[in-house]
Amino acid sequence: MKDIIIPVQRQKKELRILLICFACSFLLNIAAIIIYKTSWAEVITQLGYVFIIALAFYVLIAIIRLIIYLISTLFKKRK
Amino acid sequence: MSTDKNTKQVDLELRQFIKNLGYIAGGTALLTTVPWLQSFTTDKLSEIKNEKARVAILGTGSRGQYHIMNLLRIPHAEIVALCDNYPPNLKTASDLCPKAKTYTDYRKMLESKDIDGVIICTPLNWHAPMVLDSLAAGKHTFCEKSMALTMDECKAIYEAYLRTDRVLYFGMQRLFDEKYIKGLSLIHSGLIGDIVGIRCHWFRNNDWRRPVPSPELERKINWRLYWESSGGLTTELATHQLEVSNWAMKRIPESVVGMGDIVFWKDGREVYDSISLTYHYRNGVKTTYESLISNKFNGLGEQVLGHKGTMELEKGQYFFEDVAPAPGILQLINNVEKRVFSTVPIAGPSWVPETASKQKPHYVIEGMVHTTAGGSMVGAENDGSDNLISAFCQAVITGEKAKDIVEECYSSTMLCLLGNQAMKEQRKVDFPDEYKIPYLKF
Repeated sequence: MKDIIIPVQRQKKELRILLICFACSFLLNIAAIIIYKTSWAEVITQLGYVFIIALAFYVLIAIIRLIIYLISTLFKKRK
Repeated sequence: MSTDKNTKQVDLELRQFIKNLGYIAGGTALLTTVPWLQSFTTDKLSEIKNEKARVAILGTGSRGQYHIMNLLRIPHAEIVALCDNYPPNLKTASDLCPKAKTYTDYRKMLESKDIDGVIICTPLNWHAPMVLDSLAAGKHTFCEKSMALTMDECKAIYEAYLRTDRVLYFGMQRLFDEKYIKGLSLIHSGLIGDIVGIRCHWFRNNDWRRPVPSPELERKINWRLYWESSGGLTTELATHQLEVSNWAMKRIPESVVGMGDIVFWKDGREVYDSISLTYHYRNGVKTTYESLISNKFNGLGEQVLGHKGTMELEKGQYFFEDVAPAPGILQLINNVEKRVFSTVPIAGPSWVPETASKQKPHYVIEGMVHTTAGGSMVGAENDGSDNLISAFCQAVITGEKAKDIVEECYSSTMLCLLGNQAMKEQRKVDFPDEYKIPYLKF
């Protein structure tokens, strides 16, 4: 069994993606507060859901990236 | 009488609760709203700790035995006599307290100088004669609810109470139930807003009968089933809840309408097994009362309906009318899910978190609250009965008359009897002027 080494650059890239997902879900929470006219305290009280949604976005993006990677690998092999 | 020194004093929790009520209120302001509790304190308990009230139980059937079990846990009480003219009940009670002297004639028992107080647990038609004889014999007296079988008897008891210097208590145990005390104080503080209605109900599913060894004992043992000895479901059950209703409203109803029938237990009984009453207060608020003993689904309850919320006193919980909406993010997810997936057949339950507004209960007392479904024909546990009996025994020692207990019982019993009249005569009945007492506020 080989050691898996994740380069620092790769780590930074994944963290950036995760941060962008968190920012999007945070903004989504803000938008929901405005649309449904609920309390601004939900910026803090609903952080749990914000984290869960951020993770869901990250997983969705990971799936899309995986699909793109598989398709591009397929094309390279055909060439 | 045997006492278990390791048994916790039966009423300590309530006494401490009352002490805390006093502190919270910044003094005795709150206690003035429940005047019957003013002397039910831990300080008073320490004053009488070396003394015992010598009490006699008059009527040793199921309720009498229930009180015996409570009295055996009260350090300031001693059961010195038992009286019943039904030998099996007297024997059972005597087995519980073997040192107590037994009698079959209550008048003979009242002659004894060794008795300070009498606890009456007999059929309703015996309440008035026994209470009056007991007071006349100079005994402090406790009588189970309701006060009496007729309005004239109630009036006679009230007038004797005004003349006597003896202590007189009645079995209105909700007055000593912490859950009700706290719940009513919250109602009076305005928590649920203005009271706009009260709903009371008591449902059971049993025939109310006791086993009868021979036919001639039918009316003696199943006294609850016959008008000559019982007021039926009103005096046996409704009296407590009507008392609570008056306590909440701080007034009593002016009139009542109702209907009563025997719908299921058609076994030769006379009293109704299904009743429905509406009591009307002067300000338009109504208390509806429903009881039947052939279905127990709804159990028992008192709902005080306010314009801001609802208090369910028996359950010790309350709800507010205005419920906060679900968080915005959950509403957004819910709406997206509906739009995206409504036309897509996906098997199984939705993964979307629930966003429907739900009324969450708030609790009158934190921690375990004793509630009852109301099915017991003897008595519930921790419903205030033990505290009430303890307070009576304390009063027997100190000679301190209870405040408002007699008046509360008078009011609720009168309402029960008026309800029976309304049902029998099938008309609206107004509270008669000749039975009004100064305590009553309409």
